Amino acid sequence: MRTFDQGADGVLILGCHIGECHYETGNHRAAKRLPILKALMSYAGLEPERLRLDWVSASEGERFSRIANEFVETVRALGPIKWRVPSGEAAILTQQFAAIRGDVPLVEQSCAVKTDAIRAKARELLNNGVVGYVIGYEVGLRGRTRPSFANTPEEANKLVWNPDCTYNLTTYLGKKRRPAVKGIEQPKPVAVVVKPCDSRAINVLLAENQFTREQVYIIGVTCEGTQHDPGVLQARCQVCNERVPVVYDTLIGDPPPQHEAKPSPVVLKVAELEQKTPAERMEFWLSQFDRCIRCYACRQACPMCNCPVCLYERDDSLWIGMGINMNEKRAFHLGRAYHLAGRCVGCNECERACPMNIPISLLNMKMAQEIEAAFSFRAGLKPVPSPVVTVLSGEYKEG
Amino acid sequence: MSDTTNPMKPYLGKLTAVKDLATEIKLFRVELLNGGRDAFASFQPGQFAFVSAFGFGEAPFGIANTCQRGPCVDFAVNRLGSVTTGLHELGEGDIVGVRGPLGNCFPMDAFKGRNLVVLGGGIGGAPLRPVIQTVLDNRADYGRLTILWAARTPSLLVFTDEYDEWRAAPDTSLHLTVDQADEKWDHNVGLITQLLEKVAPASENAVTITCGPPIMIYYVTRMLEKMDFAAKNNYVTLEARMHCGLGKCGRCNLGTKLICVDGPVFNMAQVGELMETFL
Amino acid sequence: MNFITQAQLTEWLDGIAHQQTLIAPYKMADILLYQPVQSSLMIAWDSIRPVMSAKEFFFPPSERLLLIEKGAAGIKLTETLPKGRQVIFGARPCDAHGIKVLDALFLDKPPVDLYYASRRANTTIIGLACKEMGSSCFCTSVGGAPDDASNMDVMLYPAEGGYAVEAVTEKGRSLIPDSLYTIDNRQRPAFNFISNIVNPQSINWPAHFDDEYWARTSERCLSCRACAYVCPTCRCFSVRDEFLPVEADGCNPGCAQYERIRGWDSCEGENYRRTAGGHRPRAEKSQRLRNRYFCKFYFYPEQYGLGNASACTGCGRCVDICPVNVDITEVITDLAR
Repeated sequence: MRTFDQGADGVLILGCHIGECHYETGNHRAAKRLPILKALMSYAGLEPERLRLDWVSASEGERFSRIANEFVETVRALGPIKWRVPSGEAAILTQQFAAIRGDVPLVEQSCAVKTDAIRAKARELLNNGVVGYVIGYEVGLRGRTRPSFANTPEEANKLVWNPDCTYNLTTYLGKKRRPAVKGIEQPKPVAVVVKPCDSRAINVLLAENQFTREQVYIIGVTCEGTQHDPGVLQARCQVCNERVPVVYDTLIGDPPPQHEAKPSPVVLKVAELEQKTPAERMEFWLSQFDRCIRCYACRQACPMCNCPVCLYERDDSLWIGMGINMNEKRAFHLGRAYHLAGRCVGCNECERACPMNIPISLLNMKMAQEIEAAFSFRAGLKPVPSPVVTVLSGEYKEG
Repeated sequence: MSDTTNPMKPYLGKLTAVKDLATEIKLFRVELLNGGRDAFASFQPGQFAFVSAFGFGEAPFGIANTCQRGPCVDFAVNRLGSVTTGLHELGEGDIVGVRGPLGNCFPMDAFKGRNLVVLGGGIGGAPLRPVIQTVLDNRADYGRLTILWAARTPSLLVFTDEYDEWRAAPDTSLHLTVDQADEKWDHNVGLITQLLEKVAPASENAVTITCGPPIMIYYVTRMLEKMDFAAKNNYVTLEARMHCGLGKCGRCNLGTKLICVDGPVFNMAQVGELMETFL
Repeated sequence: MNFITQAQLTEWLDGIAHQQTLIAPYKMADILLYQPVQSSLMIAWDSIRPVMSAKEFFFPPSERLLLIEKGAAGIKLTETLPKGRQVIFGARPCDAHGIKVLDALFLDKPPVDLYYASRRANTTIIGLACKEMGSSCFCTSVGGAPDDASNMDVMLYPAEGGYAVEAVTEKGRSLIPDSLYTIDNRQRPAFNFISNIVNPQSINWPAHFDDEYWARTSERCLSCRACAYVCPTCRCFSVRDEFLPVEADGCNPGCAQYERIRGWDSCEGENYRRTAGGHRPRAEKSQRLRNRYFCKFYFYPEQYGLGNASACTGCGRCVDICPVNVDITEVITDLAR
């Protein structure tokens, strides 16, 4: 990706034949990852023929030269690449774009019943000392629902359930665990209130050994959908097929009825982009990334982004420059979307946290579609890692 | 002189010597060029400067010598991150950038006539070397000099080839300790706090100067106060990751103080007044 | 008062846009931002305050400090000071207050930051008084006001049929053409909303440094740094050298080029204070959140001589933007109790 940013017209990746890798599985992973990367780059406006993966062994001189010549001809026919945005060039602001909003009304919600049930469960868990604290939702002074941390049964009475409970609380389970508070010990498990999408996030985190199943007590809540604008189902809820959490220790609420079936604006927009030419897609994405200020709120809000030092902030490797310019911003977003392939559960916290309304869901949805098409896999249905990190045998091997 | 009216633009300097001091620690001797010569005509013990390995970046380093022993400026660099790795790749004759001298200094004038206890841990010894050099070069102005010098292992002790000079000075003692000895080691083994207890310098008319990893400064200064050294007589030089060194970027703040402009030298009474801990 | 109609205003701004960069509120993807605009047609007229403050036009999210060339001939450093005049139209009093706070840091306390100073000298600010108060605004609690003209160069006050206009500084006066406005006998409108948030400078901040309050409030913080990025006064930055793969203008061939670049950062970031050796002061979220509030209300005013004023402008951007509703007004209210 960075090679294209630095001006290369084409990138040819040659690996050893499958079964001949010195490191056993390196080429397996490449075989799975490259098509996904190609789909992403093409979606962002790169002609897919500029990136090629092929297999050559060290002794196949004739094959190597044939592939190299073919590739050079292909790239030459495409002409010079228009990918890198020269620094100092004014932003492309031609494409106005309304933020993605849902267009299905919110159904009647059984909030009061669930609120009481959540509070009762939280009180019970805290009274019996089963958990150290409960992560749920509360309503703040401005009437905004927000994450809540209940340490005592009294504090558990603040917990609520309402259509604004959109936050993915599993983000607090891993790296961003709350600080040590005087007099409150940490070793007990933590209870967390999860919606179906959040529960899938727990499966992904379990598959990645971020914590063990015993360390978390899952209060699953059935979900009729959450809102962004009042009374309107969020766009991400429109694609949701799970109304009941896929993993839980206790379940609150009855399985709700299906909401009105209407194609999700996110899916529609992805399809619309796929119909456009690469140049049109590139212009669209550059117009979106132009607003980005690299605050990394998207990354911080995401439960899956939990590297101790983010790849894009490492001083030693410098994968991304510090400059808030188009190439770096695009590299960050595409890179992050790629790292989330097969891991993102579509909770859309990233887009919600973004101060600039960047439609990150369009990237994540595209990746989810590619993964589902290639591997029949959806993130988080089971505690199994993303197919992009496993090898071709289909069974996950340790190490 | 275009050299620098811009405080973010470094002076150029040439490396006149690059010496191995210890494992992964090198001494860089820099001859300032052009306008830098004036800027570094009189730097004081305790001050620091930003050294640039161009292409990698710049980082702050304590100045490890006195300008009386100049005119070149010494820096001791431990290879830990990208800038220090870039510096370690350089050799004699290569060009670096230097910005400074920055920060406040040890009040060497106020120390005259008093006994000094200098405690250095690992590479923390580097900013203490100019203190030692000042005392040795003006021996009559100062009282007893007690140096406690520590490192995790013998291969991490810095300035080993100067110990004889230090020991040889009148009314000066040098005590060494390491956490983990090797077969050749025949001095103390143990933490610097244990050495301090053993040596037990007198607190009367004394000032102490400590520099090392934050955790060491914390425990040493606590012990010094238990040994009757008043907080205002215990000097430390603190560090924080700095990016500008000019009091602008806000990174190095410790409570209301900025380590780059209000420090890096503080006495423990001042540190005690800060709400925030340096640990 | 000096009166100017909407039509006269747009004509004036279009004239400015031909000679300098005109920056004004602009709507992109439902987000209001200050952006360079080519004409007054692009301006979002009915808006309160943009999501980002005007600070980015004086202290940009990233800027090149030096161009470094390493070649056979040695090392060449070229300063890259910003040039180019710009006019910011529609700045709100909270933005101007923020610039004043940054002036104390970059200009008043030596040494002068040449990059900020250059932009500051080359910028003219046309302010716009606020007709209404946003739900998260509390500028009056920190010594500001919806019609505060201090630190503007020109000030506009919405009035019937147009605006009252006043030149505040010489720089502003020189931007206004003689024939721009008519003088009528109306009073200049006043905008007198008062926020009911208590003045944060009345709080004894040091007494609250060790409160458990910080740990509880920071539990939900994501360390996302969005608050610092939208804030008109947050000023933490990082400096780094980076390789430039493509030759810049005027570079001799055969040189390797790097730039020394500085960019926004924030004390809320998890690795902000991490040293190469691994030592991490402020490892806990509570320490970082506390530092941000203390810096705003106690450390920064002391370090840069703000006297009894806070470094907060009461604009409420951080309140609106925080993904988990960490609310500065709530903190002030809680601590004042």
